[in-house]
Amino acid sequence: MAYQIGLYLIYGIAAQGIGYLWGKTGVLPLGQSLFFGIAAYVTAITLRADGNLFLNLGLATIGLTLISGLAFLLATLVFRGRNESGPYFSLITLALVMIAEQVAGTASSLTGGFNGISGFNSLGNLDPFGGFYYVIVAATVTVSLLLFILNRLPINLIVKSVMDNEPRMQLLGFRTHVIKGAAFAFSAMIAALAGGLFASHQGIVTPTSAGFALSAEMVILTAVGGRFHVLGPLIGAVIVGWASAELRDSFPYWELLMAVVFILVILKSPGGIAELLETAFRWVWPKEAKHVPPSVLVPKIQFNKQKKPLRFEDVKLQIGVVQILNKVSFEAPLTGIISIIGPNGAGKTSALNTITGNLNVTGGRIMLGESRIDSRPPHRALANGIGRKLQVPSVFFSLSISENLAIAMMAGRLRLADLFKPATYQWRSKSLFDILSNPSVPLNEELTEPVKHLPQGHRQFLEYAMTVAAEPSVLLLDEPCAGLSPDETTLMTELVKTYQSETSGLVIVIEHDMSIVEAISDKVLVLHLGQVLAFDDYDKVRLNTDVQAVYAGGTK
Amino acid sequence: MSPVLLLNLAWQISTLALIALGLAIVFGKLRIMNMAHGEFVMIGAYAPVITSMLGLPGWLQLPVCLITVAFVAFVLERTIVRHLYGRMFDSLLATWGIAILLREIVELIFGRSYQSVSPPLSGTINVIGVDYPAYRIAVIIGIFLGFIGFSWWNTRSKMATRIKAMVGNPELAEAIGLNTARLSAGAFVFGCCTAGLAGLILAPTVRIEPMMGLDYLIRSFFALVVGGLGSLEGLGIGVSIIAGTQTFLGAVSSQTYGYLAVLTLSILFLWLKPNGIHSSSR
Repeated sequence: MAYQIGLYLIYGIAAQGIGYLWGKTGVLPLGQSLFFGIAAYVTAITLRADGNLFLNLGLATIGLTLISGLAFLLATLVFRGRNESGPYFSLITLALVMIAEQVAGTASSLTGGFNGISGFNSLGNLDPFGGFYYVIVAATVTVSLLLFILNRLPINLIVKSVMDNEPRMQLLGFRTHVIKGAAFAFSAMIAALAGGLFASHQGIVTPTSAGFALSAEMVILTAVGGRFHVLGPLIGAVIVGWASAELRDSFPYWELLMAVVFILVILKSPGGIAELLETAFRWVWPKEAKHVPPSVLVPKIQFNKQKKPLRFEDVKLQIGVVQILNKVSFEAPLTGIISIIGPNGAGKTSALNTITGNLNVTGGRIMLGESRIDSRPPHRALANGIGRKLQVPSVFFSLSISENLAIAMMAGRLRLADLFKPATYQWRSKSLFDILSNPSVPLNEELTEPVKHLPQGHRQFLEYAMTVAAEPSVLLLDEPCAGLSPDETTLMTELVKTYQSETSGLVIVIEHDMSIVEAISDKVLVLHLGQVLAFDDYDKVRLNTDVQAVYAGGTK
Repeated sequence: MSPVLLLNLAWQISTLALIALGLAIVFGKLRIMNMAHGEFVMIGAYAPVITSMLGLPGWLQLPVCLITVAFVAFVLERTIVRHLYGRMFDSLLATWGIAILLREIVELIFGRSYQSVSPPLSGTINVIGVDYPAYRIAVIIGIFLGFIGFSWWNTRSKMATRIKAMVGNPELAEAIGLNTARLSAGAFVFGCCTAGLAGLILAPTVRIEPMMGLDYLIRSFFALVVGGLGSLEGLGIGVSIIAGTQTFLGAVSSQTYGYLAVLTLSILFLWLKPNGIHSSSR
C-alpha cells in the first residue's frame, strides 16, 4: 500500500510543477515527462554505476540545475518572439517528449532500449517498500511547502500579472519572456525531482517514463485535482491513482471515463477538486481580507532619470499596404505638456506605439538624446524613462487595486532579492501616495476590490496612478479623460499638471476635447494622415489654415 | 537527388498539405487550436478497416470515411467546440481531452494492435526513370488537382467570402444576416474531413493504430508555424520545408534526426520569425 501511495505521490509532485506553470502563468506544458524521464534515466545510470549516497546526491543537484537551465533557455527563446502563452509553446513541448521517447527507445547503449534500465538499488539502499516511502513523503512536503511560501511572496504577484495582462507588464518594464521562462524552468525542475525519485523507487526505467502517455496522464491529474491550488495536483494524483488501481481491471471504460471527466473539468469547473474542497472549507472558515499597511519607504528607481529630448526623425510606419506614419518629424521640448490632436486614423496612437516599441518603425528613427529608441521591445521603454497609459485602460483585471498598485510600485525598482521579501508589497512612492491621498480620487476606499468590478472612470485613474508610480520622465497618456465625468476630467487634468510641474518632465497626451487641450498644452502637435500638419502653441495652431481645413465642418 | 527521393518528397508534401489545410482552416479561421486534428487522420485511416470488417466492397471506403469523420466532427462541434470560439487556450485544452477520448474509443473498438490494409491500386508505374507505386502517383496528382480546385473555390465562391467576412468581424457578419453558427460548424467539419481523407489516403502506407494521429498533428502544426497562417502560399511553403527536411534527413540519416531537425527549425522560426514566412495577418 505504501508502495503504491509512494508512486502516486511521485506523480503528484510532477503534477504540482505542471499546476504551478499552468495555473499561474497559463502556459500548459504537454511534455513534462521529458524532464521526468531524463532525470529518471540519469538517476538509474548513476545508481547502477555507484551506490555512494553523497556522490549521488551531488550529481542529482548538478542534474537538476542542468535540466532547469535547459528548460529556461528553450522557453525564453520561444517566448521572446511570441507575446502569448497559447498553443505554440505547448506543441513544442509535445514534440520534444515524442522525440525523447523515440531516442530512449532506440539509443540502446545508453538507455537499454525498449527494455530500459534495471538492476540498481534505490538511493542510499533504502527499501522501496519501506524506508524510501518516507523520503518520498518528505519530498512531497518540501515541494508543497516551497510552493505555499512562493505563493505568499511578491514573485507570485509578478507571475500572476504576466498571465493577466502581459502587454501591461512589458510597459511596466518587466521582461515577461524571462519570467515565463523561469516559471517553466521551475516546473521542469520539480518534474525532474519527481523523475529521480521515480527511478529510485521503481528500480526500473523504460522509455514510457519519458513518453507522451505519461505527460498526458500528468496533465489530466493536474486538471482534475485542480491547477490553481498547491495541493490540487497532489489530491488529483492520489485520488485518480487510487481509483484507477481499484477500477481499471473491473471497469473497461475507465480510460474513457477519465477523458470525459477531463473535458468536463475544462469546460465546467476549471478549478477541479481542489476548488470544490476550498469552497467547502471557506464555507466553514471564511477568509478574512487582510490589508497590509503601505509604507512610504521605497528603493530608488534604477533607470537613469536624466532628462533628454525626444526627437522623431522622418519616422515611417507601414502595416501591410497602409502607410500609417509618413515621415513624421518633430522635436519635443525637455519639459512641458504636448497634446497630440488629429482626426481618427491620423496615426496618434501608432505614434505612441512606435515610442514604446509596441510597433517597429519601417523608416526613420526616434531618438532620446543621443540614443536611438525605436524598434526595441516594449519592456525596455521604462528603462528609457518612458511610461505609457493606454487608450483602453489596461490594468490587471483579476487582481485587487492594492495588488495592481503593488505591481506598479515594483516597476523600475525591483531587484532580484526583492522578489522574495514580503516587504516589497508595502512599497509606496510619494507620487503615488499624493494621488491616493487626494480625497477626490476614487481609489482609496476600494483597495481590496477586484479591478473587474470597477467602473470605467475609476479604471482610468487606476491606470494613471500605476503609470506614474515609476515616475517616468516621459509620460505618454492616450486619451486619459475618455469616459470621465466633467468633474473627473478636471481632476485628471489637475493630476497631470501637478505631476508635470513636480517632475518637470515631458508629458505627451492624445486628446480630442479641445477645452482640455487648451487648458493643459504647452504645445500642440496636429497629425493628419500620418503627417505632421502643425506643431506649435495652442493659439497659433488654432489659427493655422491647414488645421482649420482638416477640422472644418465642426468635427472634433 | 535521386528520382525516388524526389517522388517520396512529392508524396510527403502532398499528404501533409492535405492535413495541414484542415488545421489551417480550423486554427487560422475559427481560432480553434484543434489538438484532436491528428485523431481525425486516425479515424479516416480506420475507414478501410471498418469496411473490411463489415465485408463491404472497396469503393465504399471513401463514403464510409467521410461520413464517419463528418459525423464525429459535427457531434463534437455541436456539443463541445461551439462553446470555445474566441477562447483559444480553452480550445486547446478541451480538444486535447477530445483527442484522448477519441483514442480511447478507437482503442476500445479496434484494440491497440497495428492494423494494415492494402492499397486500392496495386502495381507500379515508371516515372522519371524509376518504378514507383501507382497508388502514390495517383494520390500526388489527385491532391495537386484538389488544391487547384480549392484555391479557385477560395477566391470565387460566395461561401468562402462569407467565411472571410465572419472571420474578419463576426458581429457584423451576424448583423448582415450570416448564420455564423452554421458557417463555423461547416468550416470545422470541412477541416476535420480533409484530415480524415488524408488518413484514408495514408492508410495503405502506414501502420494503423490509435496513437498514430499525434505525429501528423505536430508536423502539420509546425508547417503552419514555418509557413505562416492565412494563405495557401504560406501553407505550401511551410509544408514543403517541413516535409522536405524530414524526408531528406530521414533518407540520409534516421527518422529521429529528421524529427529533431524539424523541431529545431520550428523553434528557430518561433524565435526569429514568429509570424512565419508568408503571413497575411501583418
